Amino acid sequence: MHELGLAAEIFRIARETVDARGGGRLESVTVVVGDLAAVEPDLLEFAWKATVAGGLDEGAKLHVDWRPARQLCSSCGEVPERAEGSWLRLCPRCRQPLRVEGGDELEVRTMTFSEGAA
Amino acid sequence: MTEIDVRRKVLEANASAARSLKETFGASGTLVVNLISSPGSGKTTLLEATARALKDRFRLGGLDGDIATERDAERLQRAGIPARQILTGGACHLDARQVEKALAEEGSQLAGLDALFIENVGNLICPTSYDLGEDFKVVLLSVVEGDDKPFKYPAIFSRAAFTVVTKCDLLPHVDFDLSAVREQVAALNPSAGFLVVSARSGEGMDAWYSLLEEKIAWKREAPAAALVAP
Repeated sequence: MHELGLAAEIFRIARETVDARGGGRLESVTVVVGDLAAVEPDLLEFAWKATVAGGLDEGAKLHVDWRPARQLCSSCGEVPERAEGSWLRLCPRCRQPLRVEGGDELEVRTMTFSEGAA
Repeated sequence: MTEIDVRRKVLEANASAARSLKETFGASGTLVVNLISSPGSGKTTLLEATARALKDRFRLGGLDGDIATERDAERLQRAGIPARQILTGGACHLDARQVEKALAEEGSQLAGLDALFIENVGNLICPTSYDLGEDFKVVLLSVVEGDDKPFKYPAIFSRAAFTVVTKCDLLPHVDFDLSAVREQVAALNPSAGFLVVSARSGEGMDAWYSLLEEKIAWKREAPAAALVAP
């Protein structure tokens, strides 16, 4: 359950960004999460709610922009349909091991806030 | 309502602390090993044996992450090396800032070592995501845990430079298919090293010590700047 720690970091970054622009109330934050980042989107959203609860930013939304890793097969090329497994996947077309690239994204991408409302 | 393009890594604070640790360890030529495993797979026992075997030739030290008790650090101290406990108070992993803080508080005892062993909180999942400024991660898997673990916890076995199978003296008593584990690790991480040891019987321990000696020598020789990730 390290999602709680991640939610706290996301909140810190978002607050810092708002405060650097003169302050205000957080409306929403969008985070990019890759499918190899070891993060459960549902748990992260739950942890986010707990993080903002009871404060001035209570009710601020967290949007998770989920990014699949690229799956590359030496025979079939890039395979868009998700193969079973996480780090080791077999090509759904020919059953050879796939090379998996990317998917490790974990970034605060955009956010919205209302100025001076806090 | 104002929309802002942020584009900042969620783990940026950890990454920045890890970079600063890498610079410190690079300057002092200290090899740093991050040990990750389930609770009870033998991290502390492996380090106790390592301390006894190598402490006369190298300056070694340990940081022990746990939710509660100072037991592990005390065990390493009794084995003859300086060690400090990091109590996470419930958190399931260590992060780079905790390592920085512990080293700052401990002062000279854990400075300028030949090798620092960071024993992470017993957990095969969360510690995988946090860079502690180490040179490499080692994952331990004891033979009593079962031979299906690499595929069940693929992230750590993909990222660890070495897999160490521990408690191999118990192999005759458990259904543990060593070759199946070796194959799973090779499939996940073709360049990973694979060791089979028993700290209790001493089997395979010489290979572990040789590996550490080789890496300590490498870290000492390596120009500090080349080790700092861009």
